[in-house]
Amino acid sequence: MTNPREFNWSVLFTWLCLTLIGLTAIYSATQGPVSEFLPTYIQSNFYKQLGFVILGMILMIGIQFITPRTFLELSFVAYFVGIILMILTLFFGSEINGAKSWFRIGPFGFQSSEFMKIATILAVASYLTSRRNISAENIRYALISVVLIAIPTGLVIAQNDFGTAIIFLALIPVMLFWSGLPYGVSLFIISPAIILYLTVLNWQLGVVSVILLAGAIFFIQRRTWLTVTSFFTGILTVLGVQLALSKVLQPHQIARITAFTNPTYDPTGAGWNVIQAKTAIGSGGLSGKGFMEGTQTQLKFLPEQWTDFVYCVIGEEFGFVGAGLVILLFMFLLIRMLNIAGNHKHPFAQLVTVSVASVYFIHFFINVGSATALLPVIGIPLPFISYGGSAYLTNTIMLAICLNMDFHKRQFSIYR
Amino acid sequence: MYNAPVNRTRTSIRALQVIMIGLCLIVLGRVFYLQIIQYETYANLGEENSIRQQYVSPARGLIYDRSGVLIVDNEPIFTITITPANFNRASIPLLADLLDVADSVVTKRVDEAQRYSWYRTSPLLTDVDFQTFSLIQENIWQLSGIGHQIESKRHYPTAMKGSHIFGYLREADRSEYEATNEIRLGDKIGKSGLELVYEEELRGDLGIEFLKVNALGQSLGNYDGERSGRNPAQGDNIITTIDSELQTYAEELMQGKSGAVVAMDPHTGEILALVSSPHYDVNRLAGRLDRDYWVDINTDSTRPLYNRAISSRQPPGSTFKPLMGMIGLHLGLVTPSTTITNTGGYRRGRLYKDIAPRGEYNLEKAIAFSSNTYFYSLMDKISSSGQLNVWSDLVNDFGLGVPNSIDLPSANQGIVPDSAFMDRWFGKRKWGLGDLINLGIGQGILSVSPLQIAQMTSSIANGGYKIKPHLVSSVQKYDGSVQYASTLKEPIEWVKPEYLETVKKGMRRVVEEGSGRFYAKTDLIQIAGKTGTAQNPHGYSHGWFTSFSPYDDPKIVITVFLENAGFASTSAAPIAALLHEKYNNRTVERNWVYNYVMNWVPKEDNSQAE
Repeated sequence: MTNPREFNWSVLFTWLCLTLIGLTAIYSATQGPVSEFLPTYIQSNFYKQLGFVILGMILMIGIQFITPRTFLELSFVAYFVGIILMILTLFFGSEINGAKSWFRIGPFGFQSSEFMKIATILAVASYLTSRRNISAENIRYALISVVLIAIPTGLVIAQNDFGTAIIFLALIPVMLFWSGLPYGVSLFIISPAIILYLTVLNWQLGVVSVILLAGAIFFIQRRTWLTVTSFFTGILTVLGVQLALSKVLQPHQIARITAFTNPTYDPTGAGWNVIQAKTAIGSGGLSGKGFMEGTQTQLKFLPEQWTDFVYCVIGEEFGFVGAGLVILLFMFLLIRMLNIAGNHKHPFAQLVTVSVASVYFIHFFINVGSATALLPVIGIPLPFISYGGSAYLTNTIMLAICLNMDFHKRQFSIYR
Repeated sequence: MYNAPVNRTRTSIRALQVIMIGLCLIVLGRVFYLQIIQYETYANLGEENSIRQQYVSPARGLIYDRSGVLIVDNEPIFTITITPANFNRASIPLLADLLDVADSVVTKRVDEAQRYSWYRTSPLLTDVDFQTFSLIQENIWQLSGIGHQIESKRHYPTAMKGSHIFGYLREADRSEYEATNEIRLGDKIGKSGLELVYEEELRGDLGIEFLKVNALGQSLGNYDGERSGRNPAQGDNIITTIDSELQTYAEELMQGKSGAVVAMDPHTGEILALVSSPHYDVNRLAGRLDRDYWVDINTDSTRPLYNRAISSRQPPGSTFKPLMGMIGLHLGLVTPSTTITNTGGYRRGRLYKDIAPRGEYNLEKAIAFSSNTYFYSLMDKISSSGQLNVWSDLVNDFGLGVPNSIDLPSANQGIVPDSAFMDRWFGKRKWGLGDLINLGIGQGILSVSPLQIAQMTSSIANGGYKIKPHLVSSVQKYDGSVQYASTLKEPIEWVKPEYLETVKKGMRRVVEEGSGRFYAKTDLIQIAGKTGTAQNPHGYSHGWFTSFSPYDDPKIVITVFLENAGFASTSAAPIAALLHEKYNNRTVERNWVYNYVMNWVPKEDNSQAE
């Protein structure tokens, strides 16, 4: 039927590598000498994660035997079930670390927002590819797509989980861009985020970026009104950020936002995580301090070192060799996935694969960016590496679906 | 423009790949910057984070007596500590029970510790006894966040009290710990006595150790990396000249009395015993500061902190007469055979009283029976011939009126007036003979400490040598080397053997026939001495007895000074006699004298001489 040689083994192998690196880091972060200072429920994280990895492998294999069309057909069902679960979570969920995103059934708990990522990608992809010639260029289709993403985003924000909300929001430009939204408009949509970031670093840099982005949009699209709009939106963003930093926000809020650029302003408070994370990575040097030998990790200087700051554990104990390898593995994974998307004939498979790659990338970029103080600290996990069953299984299922559609691309015809 | 989906797809993929690879490379560059370029910075930061430099207090040097008996050492004090972050308040009742204090006391201390710091370790209860400490250790598994600290305090293993010799330790003042790196806040340093004078030697050198700590500040044992600490160097040991047995006996005899005893080796100046009474209890100042006791001894009207042996300033009274006689001989005013008649007093402008039996007195007899007339007449001759300053210099040669170099703080110089002093005291030309004649019998503007009288007596007993009184004979360094204290023994040029012969005979006769005969005359030991009375305008006179023994070959000089004692012959002399017996024979046979001394109470006496 399907030739196993056509299976994308290299992506599977990369996934396996990342998973094993993750297990190693989690082991060190929870079972190393540091375990002495950790409560038992955290010490057991490694074994729980090991269970999730085994479950993930079973799912990875099992999903390869499903007909790809099933995902298309089940997409809206999954979407509505997901929305209902999220609403139920909002009312009956339990709160962990301030976010009410856990839904419990008996002894098992899972984050409904994680599974909603799959459902949303499938549903929007399904919608945007349901008819021929549908294009995000059409404002009506674009708006419906945005609404499909905005509903789970709102629910995630209601659950007080801003990290995940950013992932959902980031899906909007990616999916619209893929579905025909003009490049200039796509750039315009993401431009406020770029300007916001640069203005926090330095307001002059913000102004320069406004001008450059407006120029780029004009160069790509050659539409005067879009260029003008983007310019004024950009200027308003710069002014808004400046106003917020100087007038509206309290000093401690500003400290939290700017801690990544100036952690010594409040070294024991907002800057603590940033200083400790940078110190952990920086002190790893070229080859690291060795497995379970990192002082930052093992002496509990790192916060949440099994999830949000797991990258610091790798950086400290395995040095630039380990930390660089993780980046290269992600680069390889992302490039391969985009190539898979490009080689696929079916627009649904293309859109799903591109979206999934983007979700991985955004997780990766924000997580590592936070750990290396390129970005403010935003608590989201590193795909396949961080501890967390729901996230690991979600990411694995998404990858399994992409591999499945690639594996079965001959049967997954555009024509019914 | 967008009708070519295949092209668009290819372009879009390229665009996404460029963006993703670009951002990934930025992240990779960032990691490279942190780990390779900034490695040194963060490696240091990481090490600083996990290593805490801690000082290790050295053991303070020990103090020995002259025969090697350990008289001051160190004893551990156990302090129970708390780290509030790890402490479970539910264990307060158990903890209070083990410490044998009320729950509320523990709660209060826990609250204080929490307010100070959540993560840092604070003392919960200091100076707990060993039993309590052991109990806590047995139950430590149910007391998370509770730890201990072992410090040390001074301990005095013998019966000897020695408070005015040793002195006490207290926490260093701000100015003291800011002046040197060797002292830290909370360190105890010597504040009086030998502990103060030999602080540098006794203290030792601080050690440094590096400890591994976690983010909560918990110590995780020794750091075994590249940085090496430094072991603390134990303080130097001090060998004193004290004869602890004699000292203990002297302390016992002085119990309940107010005054001082100084015992000295006349040939070397080594202090064998030094007692000031009343004293304070050094033990009670050794551990946790006993605030009530501290206030008590500071406000007590009997001034127990005041070292009478070296700091009090009193007229020497008749103990001054032997020296006066030698000066007379030296200046050629008298010869040993010159006699002066006592007719009940010396008349010069007014009558200076003399209660010695009337009759002819040569120098020896004048000392033996303490005739005032003889010495009034001598001082008259000195003053009239304008030799006050010569006299003053000669007196200085015997250690009176000059700074004393003893290794204790606050020794008093005393006063031996010369004309410049008299001018200052009374005003120029406002003083005369009448103010000087009294000096001849050790009264008037003449003041000395018991230590100085002992020094003067030593110079007589040792054949006319200047000596330097001292308490420490050597300092034993930690590395085994020994540093000896500098001593002094130089002849006093003008003192001739025949002068000494005469006055020593006189002093011997004091004990044989004169005022000393009641308690100091014994076949067990040949004592020579001189009593004296220091006039006290505020109450009973103070009594002096200064003495040496054995007469033929003096080995010890003992000076006793008793405040408000009345007759020195029946108060100070018996104490000195017992000490002579104790020192020479190592045992006291005359129990009746001992019982007398122990039951002695001061009597009224206002006569000027005995």
